[in-house]
Formats: sequence, structure tokens, C-alpha cells
Amino acid sequence: MKTPLLEVRNLQKRFLTGKGWLQQPTCVHAVNGVNLTVTEGETLGIVGESGCGKSTLGRCILRLIEPTEGEIVFQGRDIRPFKKADMHQVRRNMQMVFQNPFDTLNPKLTIKSILTEPLIAHGIPKELRQALIEDTMELVGLSKKQLARYAHEFSGGQRQRIGIARALMLRPKLIIADEPVSALDVSIQSQILNLLQDLQEQLSLTYLFISHDLSVVEHIADRVAVMYLGEVIELANKEDLFAKPLHPYAQSLLSAVPVSDPDEKRERILLKGDLPSPSNPPSGCKFHPRCWACMDICKTTAPALQEVEGRLVACHLYERNG
Amino acid sequence: MSEINKAVTVRSMWRKERQLPRFELLGKIMQRKKAKYSFLMMLGIIVIGIIGPWIAPHDPTKTYYEAFMQGPSKQFWLGTDAIGRDILSRLLYGTRVTLTAAVMASAMTFVVGTLIGVTSAYIGGFFDNLIMRIMDVLLALPGIVLALAIVAALGPSQENAMIAIGIASIPGFSILVRGAALSIKESGYVEASRSIGSSNWWIIINQLIPNIANVLIVYTTMFIGGAILSTSALGFIGLGAQPPTPEWGTMLNEGKDYLREAWWLATFPGIAITVVVFTVYMLGDALRDIFDPKA
Repeated sequence: MKTPLLEVRNLQKRFLTGKGWLQQPTCVHAVNGVNLTVTEGETLGIVGESGCGKSTLGRCILRLIEPTEGEIVFQGRDIRPFKKADMHQVRRNMQMVFQNPFDTLNPKLTIKSILTEPLIAHGIPKELRQALIEDTMELVGLSKKQLARYAHEFSGGQRQRIGIARALMLRPKLIIADEPVSALDVSIQSQILNLLQDLQEQLSLTYLFISHDLSVVEHIADRVAVMYLGEVIELANKEDLFAKPLHPYAQSLLSAVPVSDPDEKRERILLKGDLPSPSNPPSGCKFHPRCWACMDICKTTAPALQEVEGRLVACHLYERNG
Repeated sequence: MSEINKAVTVRSMWRKERQLPRFELLGKIMQRKKAKYSFLMMLGIIVIGIIGPWIAPHDPTKTYYEAFMQGPSKQFWLGTDAIGRDILSRLLYGTRVTLTAAVMASAMTFVVGTLIGVTSAYIGGFFDNLIMRIMDVLLALPGIVLALAIVAALGPSQENAMIAIGIASIPGFSILVRGAALSIKESGYVEASRSIGSSNWWIIINQLIPNIANVLIVYTTMFIGGAILSTSALGFIGLGAQPPTPEWGTMLNEGKDYLREAWWLATFPGIAITVVVFTVYMLGDALRDIFDPKA
């Protein structure tokens, strides 16, 4: 049994909205009691539609957004109550790759200064910096001649490589990749995904890979967590999930993935209605208004995440006594 | 032929290498008519401010007893004032006085205003609210009234007028800076910096300020124009530079009593103030067009 590198327990994030003078404060439950375990060296994919809280989850783990409740156990220690100095040390081992490579690189800085930033922030001595930067540039497939250039002189794929290089500068253990390829062309996407896989082998990285694109997740992840309205509804090995999703939402999600064979007959499961507002979620199972297998119990009682056929599913359909 | 081509490519390559942001700005200024002329005029005014004392035909404080309130003549090009001093020389000396006062006041506004605006935007929350409400209160007083109050407290002199004008324009400046900084604060690279674990000061200095530099340049230029007006205004009401310092506003004040008998006393300092303020505002406007083509 491998040791867990990151364990998220009952993580919750509520955003207060409508905080007026006389208004009743309402809140959006962006992340609602998420439990995850990421073991060393694996890639955990997190999928879900827009607004399901997957990015918020990633930012909460890094404490870019302070979670409202829950535990984030990283390398055996709960980092949520950590003060600034301790958190600073944690960040050395936990870095993030962002979605939009056009927005995350400062247009006024050269690539060299962008890559130097993590080294300055963590007090790496000056003598070591140049070699580290050049090594990392090579790792991500860029030339050290490009160091003096500015971000706008690069293409989207190259910028994402720079973003990855920046995250790798401190040789972290865990990389939280928040939709790292969704802003890129499909042809570039595969290059970046392969790069991420190569880097994982070379540097024994662990990824938390957030994406809305199932084919991307299928390519890179070992295990996949499917999120719906701030909750994990199914967590399974990639092969199991893609072969036979159990949760009705996961089934509909997978049926929406385009297949390359036009003759293959498939049943598309089209969901009724829209994603409910996370500030006013449905009672019971949050998916019940859109579910075709909805039972009476679903409307009143929220299903717990439990083990079914070697994976975790939150659905009343699979409850043993039900 | 190939030799020429080679030379051309080498030159264009060299140009590409040299495309640093600072030269880019100068190039852009020279491409636009309004920006070009206002920039060159500003340059001319600054040169006059520097070499004014050397090209002045007379001593600006010396009284010529044979020439009280003489109109423009060969010896005194712009005439003399009520106590026989050469107006042209006084104007030339005054350029330096006025420019120094305006630039120093704006520099003060720039440093303090940027600091307040950027930190307020970056920290946000209650602190931001508190600072901005204080700025609102200060902004509710007209700048010149605030400056008057400060000069009244410190005592009338050129330095105190400078300080007063600098302080009085801080609220307006910091609110503008805060607005610009807020949009940068939300950007991806600031979030990336935070995830890396850079200190807040590092982020403010290396990420925020360079990215609002263009806004800062435009606002500072605009505020210099305002500062020149305020310096002259304080001089005019006798709270700025004290006689016999050749300050334009003070000269205007000295000339206002003789408008009927000697128009040149007040007219020339008035024209000087107008031209300089006009130039600075034009330059500021042109710079804003360069940096923000949408507005």
C-alpha cells in the first residue's frame, strides 16, 4: 500500500453572497464535504461540468482560497491551521499550474525573471539559480536562449510550458493542475499532456489534475473523481469508470464523450434541465431533479459515498440494504 | 544586391533585439502628431527651466531706477515691473521655480499616492474600505482649500506650498491608482505569485506596480499640470513663494493692480502659466491615447 501524499477530509468552502445591510446572507456551497486521497506518484483526475467546484477545490488545497471547514493533510500534517511561515514551506512541495497561459505570466517580466521568482521566494542561493533555470527549461522542452524574451513572444503551448516550468522550479512533490490544457489547441494539448506524463516519470511527481474534458482525463489520470455541485459522486480507477460508470451522472457525462467511430451505436443520455444553482441546491441527492433513475428516497436523503464494486459511489441505487 | 539584403536583415534583427519597452514609448510618442509636439514643447520648457538663469538678459531681482513700469522695449523685451525689474528675466528664472515646485509636489503625490492606492487595493477588505473612505473625505474638500489649510498651518513659503500641493492631490491620485491596481490584483499572474509563496511586498513591487506603470505615467503627467496651476494660485494669493522670488503666480499678483496702466506686468506671466499647463495637459492626454487606445 502506497502512502497517501495528500488527504482531503470533509473539505467545505462556502462563499457568502448577498451580504447587504438588511438582506439575509445567502451562501454558495462551492465545495461541499469533499474527501479525497492522493497517493504518491499517481494522477488523480477531477472532472465535472463548469461550476461544480473543481477549481475551487484545487485552490482550497493550496489555500489560495481559505476553506471554510475540513482538513487538508499533506505529507502527514494538517496544513489548514498552518501559519504563514509553515504554509510557505508547504508551498515548496505543492505547486499549481494554471488554466490560462495568457493571463498567468506577467507581461512585463522576462521568462528568466518569471522563473526566478519561486527561487527568490524560497531563498535559493544565487549561485544555484542559473543552473536550476536552465535545467528546468530543458525539462519542459524550451531552449535557454529564450530566457531573455517576454511572455507575449511565445505561443500558447510554449507559455503553458513556461507555466509548468515555473511550477517545477522548486521540484515540488504535488502539482495541482487546474485545466492546464483547456485553453490550448487540440494538437498542442497532447504535447502538453505527454510532457506532463514524462515529467511525472522523471521527477516522480504526483498530480491532481482538474479538467472538464473527459478524454484528457482518460489520457492522463490513474483514478478519477467525478464532481457534481461541490460533491464527489463517484471515485474510481480510470479503467473501471470509463468501462462502466455507476452513478447516473457519471453515466450521462461519459455518454457525452464523442467517439471516433461514426458507426458505433451508442445511447446518449441527455440530462433534463440545467445545473441547479449552488446557492439553492435541491434537497436530498443534489442530482435527483435531473436523474432518470430517481427514487423517492433520493428527494429526501442525501446518499453517502460508499464502496461499491471496488470504487466509491454516492447513489441510493447501489446501497446494499436499499 | 545580396550585400544590401544582408545589411537590411542585420539591421532589422538588431532593431528587434533592441525593442525594449522604454524605447518603444519614445517611438510611439514620435509617431503621433499631438504627442510629438506636446512632448517637444515640454522638452523645450524643461530646457528653459534649466538654462533660464544663463540666458536671462538681466538680474531678476535688480531694480533699474531709470525704468519703472516701462513697456516692452529693446533693452527690456517684455517691459519692467513696478519696481523696475526686468519681466523677461523674472519669467525665465520663474520657469525653474514653478517647474521645481510642481515636479516636487507631484513626486510626493506619486510616491505616497501609489503606496496608498496599491496597498489599499492589494490588501482589500476592511483596510481598503477604511483608507478609501478617508480619501473620500479628503476629496470632498477642493484641493486648493486643503492646500490652503496646510499652508496656513505650516506658514507661507515656497517649500510649504510644495508640500501642501503634494498632500492635497494625494487623495485623488491614490483613488485612481487603486482602481488600476484592483484589475491587476485579479489577474492570473498575481494568483500564481501567491501560490508560489512570494511575499506580498514582492508581489506589489514586481507584479502590481510594473503593470500599472502606464497608468501611473499618465496620471502623474496630468497631476503635474494641476500642480503648476496650484503653485501659481498659492503664489497669487501670497501663500506660495515670497517676494522677491520670481514665481509666476506671485508676479501675476504683483501685476494685477496695474492692469490698466501696465498690461505687460500680468499678461506675460499669465501667458507663461497657460502655455506650460496647456502643454502638460496635452502631453498627458496624448500619453493616455498611447497607453489606452480604447478610452
